[in-house]
Amino acid sequence: MATAQYELYRRSSLGVALTDTLDELITESHMDPQLAMKVLQQFDLSIGEALHSRVRAKAVIKGHLREYRFCDDVWTFVVDRPTFRLEGGGTIEADRIKFVACTARAPVPPTLSVSN
Amino acid sequence: MASTAVDTSDMNGAEQSVPTGSGITPTLQNIVATVNLDCRLDLKTIALHARNAEYNPKRFAAVIMRIREPKTTALIFASGKMVVTGAKSEEQSKLAARKYARIVQKLGFQAKFADFKIQNIVGSCDVKFPIRLEGLAVNHSAFCSYEPELFPGLIYRMTKPKIVLLIFVSGKIVLTGAKLRTEIYQAFEHIYPVLAEFRK
Repeated sequence: MATAQYELYRRSSLGVALTDTLDELITESHMDPQLAMKVLQQFDLSIGEALHSRVRAKAVIKGHLREYRFCDDVWTFVVDRPTFRLEGGGTIEADRIKFVACTARAPVPPTLSVSN
Repeated sequence: MASTAVDTSDMNGAEQSVPTGSGITPTLQNIVATVNLDCRLDLKTIALHARNAEYNPKRFAAVIMRIREPKTTALIFASGKMVVTGAKSEEQSKLAARKYARIVQKLGFQAKFADFKIQNIVGSCDVKFPIRLEGLAVNHSAFCSYEPELFPGLIYRMTKPKIVLLIFVSGKIVLTGAKLRTEIYQAFEHIYPVLAEFRK
């Protein structure tokens, strides 16, 4: 369990695109579902590694904290009227945003990455 | 630090004959109360379903929950015991405790509201003149502990009423250990002439 990777990035636009493509390949019998599962597991590892070591961009988020929760090592924040000030100079606004934050896990070393 | 202005807005109803003499009334800053919901609680259910709750059993065996009105924090234990802190008046403390009990009830627990008790009241005020703490410590040595290398305030353990006062050079005073607000007021009226005597 200690080396298990989060699956939450499968719901990102990148993860959804990958899942859609894999589904398509499976329905057209171009791919074995078990291979698709392996690809998704590799995606969990790779995106964790990429976010950990390649992404350096930061953003400052401000807003009114409407609601928060901490349970099972997961923070949840519901923020009203947040503004995201991005490092490049851009600003994004929204009416309400839900943040889900998990404890950071170091990426699994590549030698162990394809072990199940 | 709190101002010395007598804020009557948060004393609704509980206003008692405020002693005069000093012309200053300490402001209540915090009230700690306990209540028994008299019902076993599944803290994880509470943490998952209530808003503004924190539950980290590795660090602390209670759910920490907050509400905005009255602005307070509650510690909710699996035994059904609850501690409510942060209220500025007795009524606000009880109202907050009732609100937390209601939240727990709404999550499906048979919560009652037993043995509500105020455990501590903290007040503060400013006499607006500097105080010679060394002199005070020497003259009232039986009640005082003054170790400026450890803590800049003088700790005065009054016996009647049984109240602990933190007295600072600046003239700012913190009073704690009361079960009733009148004890805070009495303690301040008792200490005021002493403070005046050791005015810098």
